Amino acid sequence: MPDEGCPLKKKRSRRGFIDIMLGLGFMGSTASVVYPVLRYLKPLGPSGAQGPMKLTKEDQAKLEREHMLIVRSGTTRILVFEDGQQKLRALDARCTHEGCTVQFVPGESLIWCACHNGKFDLDGRVLSGPPPRPLAQYSCTREADGSLVVNTDRKKEEA
Amino acid sequence: MSRAFDWLDKRYGLTPLVDFLKHKEVPVGGHSMVWYYLGGTTLFFFASQVCTGLLLLLFYQPGEATAYESIRFITTKVPFGWLVRSLHCWSAHLMIVSLIVHMFSTFFLKAYRPPRELSWVTGFVLFMLALGFGFSGYLLPWNELAFFATSVGTDSMKAVPGIGDWLLQVLRGGTDVSAQTLYRFFALHVVALPLITVGLVGGHLLFIQRQGMAPAMGTHVARRGLRFFPDFLLRDLLLWLLCLILLATLAVSLPYGPGLPGVEWELGKKANPLAPAYPGIKPEWYFLWVYQLLKEFPPHILGMEGPQAAILLVSVMLGIWAAVPWLDRRAQRDESSTAFSDLGVAAILFVGYLTLKAWDIGGKGLKVPDTFAVARATSIITVIVAAAIFALRRFAYQHRFFLLSGAATLQIALHGFLRVSYLNAGIVSVLLIAAGFAYLRLRPGPSVPPRLGVAP
Ligand code: HEM
Ligand code: FES
Repeated sequence: MPDEGCPLKKKRSRRGFIDIMLGLGFMGSTASVVYPVLRYLKPLGPSGAQGPMKLTKEDQAKLEREHMLIVRSGTTRILVFEDGQQKLRALDARCTHEGCTVQFVPGESLIWCACHNGKFDLDGRVLSGPPPRPLAQYSCTREADGSLVVNTDRKKEEA
Repeated sequence: MSRAFDWLDKRYGLTPLVDFLKHKEVPVGGHSMVWYYLGGTTLFFFASQVCTGLLLLLFYQPGEATAYESIRFITTKVPFGWLVRSLHCWSAHLMIVSLIVHMFSTFFLKAYRPPRELSWVTGFVLFMLALGFGFSGYLLPWNELAFFATSVGTDSMKAVPGIGDWLLQVLRGGTDVSAQTLYRFFALHVVALPLITVGLVGGHLLFIQRQGMAPAMGTHVARRGLRFFPDFLLRDLLLWLLCLILLATLAVSLPYGPGLPGVEWELGKKANPLAPAYPGIKPEWYFLWVYQLLKEFPPHILGMEGPQAAILLVSVMLGIWAAVPWLDRRAQRDESSTAFSDLGVAAILFVGYLTLKAWDIGGKGLKVPDTFAVARATSIITVIVAAAIFALRRFAYQHRFFLLSGAATLQIALHGFLRVSYLNAGIVSVLLIAAGFAYLRLRPGPSVPPRLGVAP
């Protein structure tokens, strides 16, 4: 195709315009497919109650029997346990390494993650093993009527 | 028979196809013959997966209240249900074994060299898809082991820079592994992955069909060929029959697997997201090396969190593996490239050692095994294997390049015998490799190892 000449140039710019419009149309239709799919794939936000959580009777009985208990609140799992001084404590139950559920080892006053042998102290600080960060602490209080409440939205101030 | 053929031939012109099949040949290259069959056996096991998977689907119901129960129902109530499940599990493992051997054999034969780069790349992607099949299928019974293994396995997604958290949530269908994850994995396992796999297998076979199989290194045309039809095909079919016998024997005699960690599918307890993890949670055997690597990394390294660094390392290694056709310059010129053979050996030693270690071999069956005893016992095994491979390559194939496999062995020996930490031993090995390459470059004379070790 020859490259010079006024009419041709005009034709070319018209062609360029059409190309741009086609390209935009193509991108627009792709986006209108991709965007809903991406939104569809992304899970809905956490549902269910957050805030102070009262333990059920069964949970409380289990806690007394086994000295530890894992409860769910929204999307967090919380480990509630009784330390050596009969004090109740609560820590995030998700290991900060790869997310396994940790457990309380009463004999050794230790929080232990069985997946890669991560160890934490009772305040959630890493003692050994691969976890990179401490476990978050929650406060756990005994109400006047004897029931237990775990405060899930407010983390205990770091001492 | 011939009437039917004529009828079809008139309409669809089959004669050229038959002519083509009559003339198709497979190169005959001495020892390398055996390896040409491994792609076929992988295909056989994949076909068994499709058939047994379809049968499982008749009873399997994903869901928090049904997944575990339906598998229990299949194995205890449905006539031969235990057999179908056992076949599906055994065939999954055998398919991956066959695939790994197939991949390494094409690697050592340098069958990835031009013009077959895309056969290598499609094969590599198929390997990843097979791992995806195994990973997604593992969760489907919704038992305790699967639940925790999937929690840990998906968690490494968060290491992806930028979109890690988004990816993790999309994969899990939430912040944690839940029934949502089960639905997503189910959709992947029975619809998305099979469709993609079938498409890619088609491409892989088409490439191989167009180009023929790679002749041995240094011989541009095969001197002799074996007719594909019927000679090669009949041999293939015979081998498939043997595979079927092997599969059936294993599935009947060990319906819950051989009982090694990562190679068992005892249903066990139903998953309970609120139970603590227990020791011995391991992924399937082909993920064990990554699992062990995650364990070897400290909490923080080079300004990254340990798992992030470990996953980065694994990605870089897999990237190198995928790009081998472009990296191996000597094989591109059809010259022997013993350095890349050495890379393959180093990869086997690296992955093999971590896998053995994850198996706690030498740990005396303790609940929390003695890590030093395990490191020593597994190092002894790996170093013996390394020495045997060295002897074979040095004396049978006259290879001269052992830098990479040597460095891998050094790391294992330092760690296992002298109790140097795995990472520090690795740093020593990397320094050794760097020094070795610097020496090869600066040394007078040919900067690359002389042309030795042409396969006989
Ligand atoms: C079209 C193909 C496939 C279909 C329809 C299918 C279907 C299924 C179903 C319904 C299950 C749940 C039953 C059970 O857990 O025993 C399952 C599990 C599983 N699948 Fe597949 N599958 C297919 C291909 C594959 C492939 C190619 C692999 C391997 C690489 C594989 C590996 C597994 C594994 C490891 C399990 C877990 C077995 C267990 O622990 O019970 N599947 N599959
Ligand atoms: S997940 Fe807890 S130590 Fe790895």
